[in-house]
Amino acid sequence: MDHLFPERSAESIAMSPQPARAAWSLRRAAVILRATVLYGLLAVVAVIIVVPLWWVVASSFTTPETVWSNVLPFSWRAFWPQTFSLNAYRAIFAEGMGRAIWNTLVVSVATVALTLIASAMAGFAFARFAFPGKQLLFWVVLLSFIVPGDITIIPSYILVNNFGWLNSWQGLIIPAVANSVVIFLFQQFFAEIPEALVDAARVDGASWLRILLQIILPLSRPVVVTASILIFLSQWNNYFWPTLIAPDPDFRVIQVAIAQLGHSQQLTLWDKIFAGSTIAALIPILLTVPLQRYYVRSVMSAGIQG
Amino acid sequence: MVHRTQVSPQRVRRTQVTPYLFLLPALVLLIIFRYIPIISGLRESFYSNGLSLNGGQQFVGLANFARLFREEVFARALTNTVLFSIVVNPLQTGLALLLGLLANQKLRGIATFRTIYLIPVALSMTVTALSLGLAFDRNYGMVNGLLATLGLPQQPFLGSPNQALWTIVAIVTWVGVPYWTIFFLAGLQNISAQLYEAAQIDGATKLQCFWHITLPLLRRTTAFVLITDTIINFSLFAPIQLLTRGGPELSTTMVMYEAYRRGFVYGDLGVAAALATCLLLVVLAIVMLQLFLLRPKD
Repeated sequence: MDHLFPERSAESIAMSPQPARAAWSLRRAAVILRATVLYGLLAVVAVIIVVPLWWVVASSFTTPETVWSNVLPFSWRAFWPQTFSLNAYRAIFAEGMGRAIWNTLVVSVATVALTLIASAMAGFAFARFAFPGKQLLFWVVLLSFIVPGDITIIPSYILVNNFGWLNSWQGLIIPAVANSVVIFLFQQFFAEIPEALVDAARVDGASWLRILLQIILPLSRPVVVTASILIFLSQWNNYFWPTLIAPDPDFRVIQVAIAQLGHSQQLTLWDKIFAGSTIAALIPILLTVPLQRYYVRSVMSAGIQG
Repeated sequence: MVHRTQVSPQRVRRTQVTPYLFLLPALVLLIIFRYIPIISGLRESFYSNGLSLNGGQQFVGLANFARLFREEVFARALTNTVLFSIVVNPLQTGLALLLGLLANQKLRGIATFRTIYLIPVALSMTVTALSLGLAFDRNYGMVNGLLATLGLPQQPFLGSPNQALWTIVAIVTWVGVPYWTIFFLAGLQNISAQLYEAAQIDGATKLQCFWHITLPLLRRTTAFVLITDTIINFSLFAPIQLLTRGGPELSTTMVMYEAYRRGFVYGDLGVAAALATCLLLVVLAIVMLQLFLLRPKD
């Protein structure tokens, strides 16, 4: 509100009649009060978000004996490791965390690559061609939004088991490539690209595949980045599907690995759970903060059907 | 949608095949991995537990459902799921709307706060459940430590049949609200500033602006958030499996977790498929109801 009176000097205020002056200081008090309340609320929410995370990270750098010793009675020491130690990290890497991280990277990167290819092709077909059955096929894509994958996880498991894909890369990757949200993202973006660009290439005799790869895709960086974040994070953070179909240590992904630490719920494992959680959270957060604009768009794109 | 004049015969023929070839990989995968499971799940709920795992399938009609409906576990799972949904979805949607309004204020340093609020959105449900589960631990959790410091009595949280479900609500809300806030923030930023200026010229108060401009224009966002949140929370799994395994005393068991337990702990995939079918029907019914209630008024 104070920007409404930027040009008012102290002098002009002094000259103004008394009632106006009183109203002005009242308004000023209201502005200060409003800012205080808003910053107070913003800070409360920030504290609720940051404090548990800080506690997790701080506790991951301490020893198993001290991990809970500052909680009851509670002291600030719980937020700063008194005996700095990497024991928890050493222990989980000795138990196969490195392998789990590698597995998850393989699965996530492969899913991103395959999903981008299949979805860009489908999005291109929907955006650039007129053909019989187009409406129907587009509805096939859209309708699969409605039923969340987890509800059909049991028949999906039976299906993948029938393929002989338990404990395999295919089982972890291929079902995730069927991604209607990404198809829709590409279709929307491609529809905006000027027709003239495509037509010019057609006149020059370029094949449709070359047009997609050499003309359309290089123009589509924003949607490619957005879709890649969306796909990568959904695979990196996926737990329910991999825990059912790939429990074998050779194919264990990071969320399954940290869940196995959590299952035993023993006090002696707390530092390992904290260390595992810190590692599992690190990559998504590192992707989120610098790529915030794309990241927000990737979250939003899950909502385009609304 | 592509209209062309003077298309050569050869081009017509190629245009007819090319789009189908481009669609083939994505559509085949969607049909195999998204549609077939829906249909086979419905079918399998009418078959006995042998199923494809050991080949011995037998049609049993509604026997799987009849067995479920006689069980106390199923009744508890269903009531818990419904109770959880009735509380958690309006709670998350309401808090996300409030946080969206707060984060949309034009204040110095607001970008920093928005970045902080984005952190939980990047975390997996596994990380969230494990970390907050330990924070709510009855003996050594941070939350009880803070309560003790404030001179308040310590709580059993996940260890008590009266508190476990609400502790799960708190954990899921912590991670869910920032996620849905993104949608409300985008919805708020889509509202033209001119609308507010015009209203202020007409002498509308801030409250009137909120009531007559902001809320009606957030209707679609609210509908979307409420529906999507409901669908997602119906298949909530990780916090239950990792923290309570449905207990104590069945107080946190839910249909999705029960389907998992029957299918993968007891190997009874027929009953598991029947449970998933119940869930699918409930989800579809609620989505229809919400679409009806939140339909455009005009």
